[in-house]
Amino acid sequence: MTLPYYDVDVRPILREGGEPFSAIMAAVEALAPGQSLRLLATFKPIPLFHVLGSRGFEPAAREIGNGDWEVIFTPVGQQPDPVEAEQAPAVDGTIPTSETWPAPVVELDNRNLEPPEPMVRTLEGVEALSPGQTLAALLPREPIFLFEELQSRGHLWRGAFEPDGHYRVLIRRG
Amino acid sequence: MIGTALSRWTMSYFTVALAFLVGAQMLMVAGYGFPAVAVEAPETLVLVHMVTIGWLSMLMCGALFQFVPVLIAQPLRGERLVLPALICLLTGLASLLAGFLQLAGVFDTGIPLLALAGTLLPAGFLLVAGVLGGTLWRANLQLPARFVAVGLGCVLVTAILGALFALLLSGFLPALAVIDFRTQALPVHIAVGLGGWLSFTAIGVSYRLLPMFMLSPDRERASSRVSWWSGVVALLLTVLASPIAAFLEKMGLAAAVSPATRLAVALGMAALVLYGLDLAFFYRHRKRRTMELNSRAAQGAFLALALSAILLLALLATGTLERHIGALLYLVAFGWLTGLGLSQLYKIVPFLTWLECYGPVMGRKPTPRVQDLVMERRGWIWFALYFLGVLAGTATLLVDQPGLFRAAAAATLLATLAIVAELVVARRLANVPDDKRLPEGASRPRLFLPAPH
Repeated sequence: MTLPYYDVDVRPILREGGEPFSAIMAAVEALAPGQSLRLLATFKPIPLFHVLGSRGFEPAAREIGNGDWEVIFTPVGQQPDPVEAEQAPAVDGTIPTSETWPAPVVELDNRNLEPPEPMVRTLEGVEALSPGQTLAALLPREPIFLFEELQSRGHLWRGAFEPDGHYRVLIRRG
Repeated sequence: MIGTALSRWTMSYFTVALAFLVGAQMLMVAGYGFPAVAVEAPETLVLVHMVTIGWLSMLMCGALFQFVPVLIAQPLRGERLVLPALICLLTGLASLLAGFLQLAGVFDTGIPLLALAGTLLPAGFLLVAGVLGGTLWRANLQLPARFVAVGLGCVLVTAILGALFALLLSGFLPALAVIDFRTQALPVHIAVGLGGWLSFTAIGVSYRLLPMFMLSPDRERASSRVSWWSGVVALLLTVLASPIAAFLEKMGLAAAVSPATRLAVALGMAALVLYGLDLAFFYRHRKRRTMELNSRAAQGAFLALALSAILLLALLATGTLERHIGALLYLVAFGWLTGLGLSQLYKIVPFLTWLECYGPVMGRKPTPRVQDLVMERRGWIWFALYFLGVLAGTATLLVDQPGLFRAAAAATLLATLAIVAELVVARRLANVPDDKRLPEGASRPRLFLPAPH
């Protein structure tokens, strides 16, 4: 018996210009042993193949029309566990609903700082948090370099553009 | 973008580029090539391609590998092709320069050097355009990225035309020998290379970099969109001018100057004026009152761009374009493109060095500021000397004073060497106070090679 796929549709995040990485990683954390992840995206997410590959997932990608892609990440070398099957939660949306983050303990406005100060102040704020606490920061633009640091330090984030063009990121200390 | 936000080979591209810039200027000081010999002499071609491919294109490629992913918030696709592209471009350029020297009679070999260059250089640019175009493909392109996309198309047109010349000169395409390449295709090669690839791309990059570092509002403006459209139509007309003229002639409507060329010049000027208005807006509405040296020095480049446009119109109006084409191209290549390139390197190199070195400890340990890596009080002297040298050089070319031109070139060479030294100092973290230089966990970046995995 195989477990149902754990579905994550990041197309709405991508269409809004958001960063789906933390939503995907949160879904990966929520997988039952042996369960596969079904990801829907607006492009073939090659970088993710490496990231999840290093965690023991094998991707199978196919184009499903309109330029969208379906990728099924199957854990390799793990036997599916039938007992867990019924508990498998399904998520369809921008953020896994299985998890609510606590309200931010700090709100930073880093919009009017010269680069790389917005990133420095944000990371200082994150490092001051206790594990599990969150911080919100307003940034002048989508912070590519910050995401890389957060990723390598094991923190999670959710972010999106504000209507005025700024970027608001919510970071949870890992 | 995991582990790839810093482009691995960008600093290597920059190093190669700066080496060619210094080398070319040394040749100019030594009196090699134009203006001592004709504009179309092989010696001049050596010089021109050292500057346009060796320096400007290498600089642009290295910058775009870093900049494009940041621009569209997507990782670079096909990063493993970046080093092969560098190798193709370098070997291709070496063959091209050697091929020109062979034409000049400096040496003789049985190797078809120009044909080799005509294969390797387009291959290298195709790899570059493939990686960058593949990254831009299907992304939601904001205006700066749309400028870059047009530039990538232009570099391919330029490289293909260049390859045709190379094959023609090697005697490989006898069927094409009937076409007058010098009057029909060469102007396109020059205009699309300098105007499309180098200038249009540089304009696109500046639309994002300037507001980013001066904290100016950078929402897309109508003037920028119109500038893009007029630039694109001007470039298309330039590429198609010869076919259009040939068509008109066939229809019995031959004109003295092709109307397509005239329209292209008018639209190109309109694009520049609108770009100028946008630049003025960025500088006037910046939230940082004190400007950093890179933004101040860039104004010299923008002034040179405006002067180039005025000079072009003046030369066209007086019918002396052909006579003074060398002076005009010198002002475009050294005043506008090199001026902008050096001024932005003065920010980009310290910034990337800072990220590479202090990124891992950011927020955990006190780190120096990016501006601690440079010493602007010293730097501005070099930029002032550089731009004065370029202005003087252009003037000496216009009044046919080759001896004085070499003196002006010596000034720009000196300034360039000093700026390169400042970049090395920044990369070595030598301006940072000892106690702040390497907090625990930070690692000193290598001078121009990527950090080992």
